[in-house]
This record gives sequence, structure tokens and C-alpha cells, in this order.
Amino acid sequence: MKIKEIFGHRETWQGIAVILGLSIILACVTQFGLIKRFWQGEFKQGFVRGEEFPGLVFISLAEAESLWASGEALMVDSRSREEYAAGHVPGAFSLPLVEVKNGQDNLLQLLPEDKPLVVYCEGGSCQTSLALAKILSKKGYRNIKVFSGGWEEWLQAGLPVEN
Amino acid sequence: MVAGWITCGKLTMVLRNRIFLLLLRLIVGGVFIWAAVTKIADPLTFAQDVRNYRLVGQTLSFLTAIILPWVELIAGLFLIIGIFPRSSALLISGLLLFFIILVAITMLRGIDVECGCFGTFSRKADIWLILEDTAWLIMALVLLFSPANEFCLLKPGSRVSN
Repeated sequence: MKIKEIFGHRETWQGIAVILGLSIILACVTQFGLIKRFWQGEFKQGFVRGEEFPGLVFISLAEAESLWASGEALMVDSRSREEYAAGHVPGAFSLPLVEVKNGQDNLLQLLPEDKPLVVYCEGGSCQTSLALAKILSKKGYRNIKVFSGGWEEWLQAGLPVEN
Repeated sequence: MVAGWITCGKLTMVLRNRIFLLLLRLIVGGVFIWAAVTKIADPLTFAQDVRNYRLVGQTLSFLTAIILPWVELIAGLFLIIGIFPRSSALLISGLLLFFIILVAITMLRGIDVECGCFGTFSRKADIWLILEDTAWLIMALVLLFSPANEFCLLKPGSRVSN
């Protein structure tokens, strides 16, 4: 079979259209509930089912700043040690996701259990803070706030920085 | 030189052997079905995996996670039972090529992610994954370019030849 025959054949494209069409229909039918929840804005900030990760919420810069300024919460930095060393939120605890994933669970024992945790990463489209928050939730922490704006937003707002 | 031709001829014979091609269809289709089922079972985890590649936003990640596993499932199933096998092989080859490029770009960008290939059984998106996907791509291409259309519910081109 030559390339020309494959691509030039109408049946090839009809088949692809059938497969794609069927997929879209089946996806919509089987995941209707999830699509509805997405439409209502539930997963806009992260693909987290509330029932699966209780106590995990997303917060804005203003909320993160207020929790940090009042000393009410502990800021948790999920970036690498190098990034943390280059600059971080004052008083933040360095808990690199990569280290936790590599089994350095002893780091988790240093976290206070009675304080809310505000987890952040680089910002933009970074995902390590959410991944770390999920791990913490699985470990039993029930007051975790993911600051999606992260380090980038913190810097842009001109908030205090510690090296 | 002569030995080379004989080997080449044997290889062509194997590649055209209808039992071999059927087996290949079962393996490639089966893997795609399995990969799809693990993702359909947990669409949000897969959506997060897609998002972790940092190539598309939240909405596109969600739509991909909802639709892509079904494309894999139906293409895999059609390839095995022989409904539009050529289209299925083309679609599967295209998807594999896309995955290889995606993993390569992600590695070049220095992003460390789980591939998301098999739901919770996923592994790291690294050079080994590229090699593995390349092996699958070769198998899919063999099917795409094979002349045989045996054991098919709908034989490709049957309406044309009849």
C-alpha cells in the first residue's frame, strides 16, 4: 500500500470521521456529569474532586498575602531547593515536590498539623504546588490552600522577598 | 549481498503474513484499548497529566482528557475487529507520532512529568518512553502499509472492488 493510496482513499477519511465522531458522542454521554461540573466552573483552577481531596482549596494572591501577613498560615514552597535559595516568600518552608516524590517523607513531619498550609510554585502554569497539595491531602492534612499565582504573582505584586 | 536479499525477502514475507498481521493488530489495538480504559476510568487524573505538560490550558486539557481516550479505545477496537482498519492504523500512527513529538518537546523544555499514558500506571515522560512509542509507531506503520485486509468485519475498499 502506498502513501498516495492511503491518503487519497475516501474511505480512510470516512473512517477517521466515524472514529472521531463516535468518540465525541461517547465522551459526552459517559462524562456528562463531569462536563457539567466543568461548565459550572468547578475545575477551572485544578482538576481536583472536592470529595477526593477534602480541605484542598485554591486561593488568590490577596488571600495568600493576608494569610501570610497575619502569620495564620505556613507558606510551603514546592519548587526546587535552588529556586527556593534564589528567593522565596519570607518564612516559607521549602518542600520540593521532587524530594517528596523521591520518598523523602521525613520532610513532611516538620510541617505543623494545626496550621493552614499555603502551597505555591513558580506561578504561570506551574503544577507542582497542586501535585504537592494532593500528596499532603492524602497524608491527612485537611487545611491546604493552593496559591496558583505562585512566586511570579508574588514578585509582580512587589511583596516582600527573602533570600 | 545475496544473503541480504534473502533476509529482506523473508522479512517482507513475514510482514505480509496474514497471521502475523492479525497478531500485530491484536497487540497494537489491545494496548490502545488498555491505555484508553485506564484513562476513561479516571478522567480528572488524566486531565491533570495533560495539564502538567504545560502546552495547553485548563479547558483544552479537560476536553483532551474527555475525548482522547475514546479515540484510542475506538481506534484500537476497530483495528482489532477490522472496521476501517486503515483509518484506525492511520489514526493510531498519528497519535503515536504526536506523543513522541510531545514528549521530546517536554524534555527539551526541561519539564519533569508523568506521561499519563496508562492512567495510574503511568511512568515518567523520558527518552525510554520515546523509544517505546517509536516501537509502537513502527508496528502501527507496518499495519498501515500492509496490503492484507484479512479477518475484517468491513474490508477496506470492498465496496470499490465489488
